[in-house]
Amino acid sequence: MKDKVLIANRGEIAIRIMEACEALGLEYVAVYTKEDEESLHVRLAKKKYRISDYRDMNDLLAVADEEKCTAIHPGYGFLSENYRFARRVVKRERPLIWIGPSWEAIRDLGNKLYMKKVAYQLGIPVIPGSIEPIYNEIEAELKAEEILELAQEEGFQEVSFLVKAVAGGGGMGIEEVKNLEEIRPVFRKLRAYAKRLFGDEGIIIEIKIPVFQHLEVQILGSKHDEYVHFGTRNCTIQSPFRQKRIELAPGFCENISYEFDPKKVEEEIIQHSLNLAKHFNYDSVGTFEWLVTPEGKYYLMEVNTRIQVENEISAKISFIKNKPVNLLKEQIKVAFGEKLGYSQRDIEFRGISLEFRLIAEDTKRGFIPLSGVITKFDYRDYPWLTIRTHVPKDKPYTIPTQFDPNLALAIIYGENFNDLMEKSKRFLNEVVIEGKTFKGEPLATNINFLKEKLSDVYKFLAV
Amino acid sequence: MKIDFTQLTQFLQRFKAKPYKIYPIFTPHTGKIIEFKVKEGDEVKGPSGKWLEKPGTPLFVLEREKNPKLIRAHYDGLAQNVRIELLNRFVEAGELVLEIRHPLTQDEIISEILLNALLVIRAPETARYILSSELGKRLEKEGLGKVIVKEGDELLIMTFMKRETPIFLKEKGQYIIYQIYFKPFELVQAGEPLLGLCPVEDLPHLEKIIQRIKDEWSL
Repeated sequence: MKDKVLIANRGEIAIRIMEACEALGLEYVAVYTKEDEESLHVRLAKKKYRISDYRDMNDLLAVADEEKCTAIHPGYGFLSENYRFARRVVKRERPLIWIGPSWEAIRDLGNKLYMKKVAYQLGIPVIPGSIEPIYNEIEAELKAEEILELAQEEGFQEVSFLVKAVAGGGGMGIEEVKNLEEIRPVFRKLRAYAKRLFGDEGIIIEIKIPVFQHLEVQILGSKHDEYVHFGTRNCTIQSPFRQKRIELAPGFCENISYEFDPKKVEEEIIQHSLNLAKHFNYDSVGTFEWLVTPEGKYYLMEVNTRIQVENEISAKISFIKNKPVNLLKEQIKVAFGEKLGYSQRDIEFRGISLEFRLIAEDTKRGFIPLSGVITKFDYRDYPWLTIRTHVPKDKPYTIPTQFDPNLALAIIYGENFNDLMEKSKRFLNEVVIEGKTFKGEPLATNINFLKEKLSDVYKFLAV
Repeated sequence: MKIDFTQLTQFLQRFKAKPYKIYPIFTPHTGKIIEFKVKEGDEVKGPSGKWLEKPGTPLFVLEREKNPKLIRAHYDGLAQNVRIELLNRFVEAGELVLEIRHPLTQDEIISEILLNALLVIRAPETARYILSSELGKRLEKEGLGKVIVKEGDELLIMTFMKRETPIFLKEKGQYIIYQIYFKPFELVQAGEPLLGLCPVEDLPHLEKIIQRIKDEWSL
């Protein structure tokens, strides 16, 4: 029987999955909701079904059965890190292949606290703070006091706390607290928020690392106990709500001087990430996120058990036996049980790559997401530029309000740092995004914010 | 107050000429329509009872993942344009299955006319809305037509693009919450009404208008 993939996602990632399927000679079926009818992923898909919601498991499985699909690709967001869905997909009467890690790995690594505990036991550095979820505010205050003492012993100055929903992520359900008196009100607020949004009230408290870089390691595992990495990425430039805006690969830069040996730190976080991946028999693409301090200390933050938005910058700088890499293709191949066919020795890194997230948001007014109609989206084509978008170039596009206001990803490749910066500036100066909000005002985008932040790349930032 | 009695007469005439509304019934999700429970021209009833505890007339059965789901009428009226050709077919979400031709009641006409008379807070974006927790509590305690709000009060919370934004009353003066047009967490299209407010001093005038509709509109 010929394999057929149900693409259970929207927008640009749905398009990238379609391309990967086509390149691998696989058939596919796309899904969409009413709000997304104008999206490019709907127009490009040959076979598609309208469903009620991208999170509706029953709708996805009903379409998969109707179309006799053999596998499901969840993309990122939505159900991609929902282990219950992953488990249902593989354990149902007509099982399907889950294009992602095993449901056990999603469950264990997706539970930040459990992951932290296991990592701690394996001798992997984790952020000082609670390892058990806190459900009550008195306990929260006590824990914060304990952390404060510990932090002062370790030499942290001006300690502040991060109060996080255990089930949160991607900048959601996280808040900073500067002094102990605020712990209780913030705890109550976050607990209510977490219960409503994630159905889990657990909260943890950690030290806030004041100045850092956000690095991540791209891992790929197969079902045959093979593990490789595709280097590191630097995702330090984020919105005030901790959502990534500029990502770079590799994670450290030759043109910057560090107080530590960046090669050594990079090797160590890669080795730790691989160790943790092996511990969980991780058999797909995955991202291990780290905080690195200016002194070269590093802490494992979380593991993303899915393909990342920014995967392509790693692919751009990686070459397997001198050939370009597509991580979506690699992810699909290992899900179907194939062997990698190469080892770490065959992967070489060349050049430097950057990704901009172009978003309809008002960076001057608290980064509020904007909806409206995009009337013009224009940029020049270059061999060093890849644009990933679901916004059609040829007709006005109304931004649906149910999802993130992300418009496009711009992926730029440079020979070296200076070359990359020059190309990135050129792109930002040339790209045109015009539109109107429903109130008739011009639609703001984050292009100016990206221009300003370009001078901060690879720096240690206080967030 | 934006409405006068001449305008009101016009509104009433319009409703008298066309005293019904057509509600399209769509599939809520994908699945197979395994049975139709109504045929063309059948009378259907929406939920009834004091707490709307009696469900509406069954319309059709949609089966998905081996679970049959009975879709019932939410409005009173007559079934029309029943798409019988969909029987035993796999349908997408949001597929039109039939329409209900719903005769307007006195209350509904009052509600439509009030849209023109009240200060209407409309949805600034297509999003999900809930009452602010304080207002919700007060309304639960005191009821519609009793709660007074003033400039700067938090009325609603909008859940939009994964963020929550409060909506405040921007108008000067004191207002009574007179109508609620939305259900909590249901998607409301931009520009659709959310709340109907009546200036405190205009309440007697408004009640006169309602009396006039009740007198003229006897079913």
